[in-house]
Amino acid sequence: MATSVPQQSDIVIVGGGPAGLALASALSSQPAIRDTLRVVLVEASDLSKVRNWNDGPSTFSNRVSSITNASQAFLQEIGVWAHVDEGRTCPIEEMQVWDGVSDARITFSTQDDHASFLPDASPQSQMARLTENLNLQRALLRHLDSNRTVELVDNVKVQSIVREEREGGGWPLVHLSDGRVLRARLLVGADGFNSPVRAYAGIESYGWAYNTTAIVATLFHKPRTSFQAQNTIAYQRFLPTGPIAFLPLSPTASSLVWSTKPHLAKALLSSDPAVLTSMINAAFRLPEVSLRYLHQQILDSVSNGALISSQQLREEISWRGRSHHIDPRSAYSLTADTEGVPPEDADALPPVVTSIQPGSAAFFPLRFSHADDYIGDGAGARTVLVGDAAHTIHPLAGQGLNMGLGDVESLFNCIHKAVTNGGDIGSRTALLPYARERYFENHKIMSACDKLHKLYSSTSEPVVWARSVGVEVLNELDSVKAAIMLNAGSRSSRTPPSGRQIGANFAADAVESIARSVAGVSTLTTGVAGLVGEGLQRVLQTVANSQRR
Amino acid sequence: MTPLRGACNAARRSLVYRRATSASRHFASLHAGPANQSSVNPDEIAHFSKLSQAWWDERGEFGLLHKMNPVRIQFIRQKMLEMRREDGLDDVNMARPLDDMDVLDVGCGGGLLCESLARLGGRTLGIDASASNIAIASLHASADPGLTSTRKGNHTLTYEHTSVEDLLAQRGPKSFDVVCSMEVIEHVDNPAAFLTNCATLVKPGGHLFLSTIARTPLSYALTILAAEHILRLVTPGTHTHSKYINPDELTDFFLRLDSDPASQSAVADPPEVRRPWISRLYGSVPARTEAEMRGIIYLPWKGEWMLVPRGAAGASAWAEACNYLFWVRRPFE
Repeated sequence: MATSVPQQSDIVIVGGGPAGLALASALSSQPAIRDTLRVVLVEASDLSKVRNWNDGPSTFSNRVSSITNASQAFLQEIGVWAHVDEGRTCPIEEMQVWDGVSDARITFSTQDDHASFLPDASPQSQMARLTENLNLQRALLRHLDSNRTVELVDNVKVQSIVREEREGGGWPLVHLSDGRVLRARLLVGADGFNSPVRAYAGIESYGWAYNTTAIVATLFHKPRTSFQAQNTIAYQRFLPTGPIAFLPLSPTASSLVWSTKPHLAKALLSSDPAVLTSMINAAFRLPEVSLRYLHQQILDSVSNGALISSQQLREEISWRGRSHHIDPRSAYSLTADTEGVPPEDADALPPVVTSIQPGSAAFFPLRFSHADDYIGDGAGARTVLVGDAAHTIHPLAGQGLNMGLGDVESLFNCIHKAVTNGGDIGSRTALLPYARERYFENHKIMSACDKLHKLYSSTSEPVVWARSVGVEVLNELDSVKAAIMLNAGSRSSRTPPSGRQIGANFAADAVESIARSVAGVSTLTTGVAGLVGEGLQRVLQTVANSQRR
Repeated sequence: MTPLRGACNAARRSLVYRRATSASRHFASLHAGPANQSSVNPDEIAHFSKLSQAWWDERGEFGLLHKMNPVRIQFIRQKMLEMRREDGLDDVNMARPLDDMDVLDVGCGGGLLCESLARLGGRTLGIDASASNIAIASLHASADPGLTSTRKGNHTLTYEHTSVEDLLAQRGPKSFDVVCSMEVIEHVDNPAAFLTNCATLVKPGGHLFLSTIARTPLSYALTILAAEHILRLVTPGTHTHSKYINPDELTDFFLRLDSDPASQSAVADPPEVRRPWISRLYGSVPARTEAEMRGIIYLPWKGEWMLVPRGAAGASAWAEACNYLFWVRRPFE
């Protein structure tokens, strides 16, 4: 077993999550790649669970992602979207985001996408599409099963990765738990936060754990009435403990992503589900001061071992509502009669949650991390990282999966280009455009989300003051808005350039690239330095030196 | 653009043919003529052998050459596909445009171009005057089962330590469908003889690909003034500006080169009998089915080379400015 003959493979993908499966799917969709490269995907868990996933129409998985239009266009292009059960997805047509302290509110909808007024743009009917991760993964597997060009090896662990001993640089040898050894021209790490491929490549990752936990759950509620818009609005309220988000899945079900302090998350999940339900409703409605009080009540009840009953909590909440003079006819009131004509401000808040899908509530810690490089070098050559192996992000803008799909699309294009030009797809030259394209792009989104998180969890008085006044908030919200609307691709611009545009594109591209490189030099001191053109760097150095003299 | 010269210079030394002793000699005076010179300089080979380990270090001295490779292949690929369509061949294998062709790379160095040519389907032979280059190229290719095995298709890659003169003597004329020689002729002692030898090896209807540097003030500023004297990226004296070759000089050479370069009598033939490689110019540009040149420029902010698009504003100005690729086709008999 130990001395089994290595199997030659062109691409070995470690990890069968959305990013790994999407890369395999993209590669299998392209004839030039399909005919020339041998692709193997290794996954430790049993993929048949995903393949046979078949939840009923009224229950939903608690892990969901808002697939941006750009991501969706890519999935359509490679033939995957046709396998997604669209009946289980939900378009997001509007987002409402507001500050938990000052109530400063910003709404963005498809009409805000100014770029859609460009002559060649077709109007967008959605900003993103909320999709269960399992729905997407199953679609990817169905796509791979239909063309059978990628070898899927599941229920098999990667035991070790070693470098082949060979003069002039060996290839990675991937030892599997079934005794096989794969010799990889290119080893792709789609193996998540604790990436073994990243460890093999010797790529450091910087980051930190936020003292924050995300609670996820599938929420049930009454359908919107015919007087209202359908359940297609996503809501997010920024509380000092973290943002709470309500993401629509169907007329009567929505998904929760609530970032909060770890001890509070633990207390909430160990309480009666009805308590969690009431607290979710309160978290979208009550003033921050009352929420803080209620959180303390929950924490006390858990530490005293005398759990608060849902009845007690409801009474407490309605008393607090009255004492804040919340108009009982307003949507903010939790005592209001929910039958009949809805209150005028109903669209400003998510529908009242009536129950939580049993077993759907869960929590996980949040962290920020970004690999120092996406491409292995030297002893770790012939490796590349995608998705969570390269970056993990605060979920407040819902961009984690989309960033992974963006990586996949870019890497796929690089591989395709290298194959077309007879290149070695494991070479740094072939992979460098991927790192250049994605590193700064991801960094921007990650920084914006991190900054936002820090801003809202700060207790420093001037920051709280600025936030409560709303000035800073609106600025920051605008940057998120920009991140969501433009960077993250709510709009898909995938029209191939016409022949006569190429010259003009060349000029535009040059200008854009200069701007980007210069911005990169001035804002990023480490990390991307190696990505900026060696030529430009030298020129800048020369200029700097001559100025010093 | 300057740092690239550093890499390319060292690369060019791979093909070190004896340096011109007289820097005043000018390519413009080039005439198609007898080609029996062998001109390998032992000192240069020894110097180059020390560098050969660095060939496949993509972050090292040859990094920019690695980046130039895809653009060269892009041009070769485009041109081959275009000519196959021109010849009315419909069964073009887009992924492997060199399928079933004999391909020669003269001055292959560490084998950067050869490996790509082999992946595009060509039965590829790389030759170089440096034995250590050949050793490095062979060693590198041996790691890649796609190049050494004949598992899929029949592409193979072989290397030989020889010169173009000796290869011609050994194989005879009309041996290859495609002959490439990249960044070589500006280092050759007798470019006319060198080109004639390369051309003689091409089968009728076959293709010759070259890349070199134009002799312009810009190329002087970048490759000599900046790279050698200011930034000291390259040992001063590596380049000889007067040996750079302008596109119109190459065109001119092939306007006069007979369809059969080996036939000495052709030179004496009356003009109406002669069939040169380029039959005529259309406003100083050859027909696209006979020859074409495209500029390549390095975009330091992208870290990539770019093939200047056809029909881009000032495309010919780009070609004439510094680095360019050249393609010419041998007439059918």
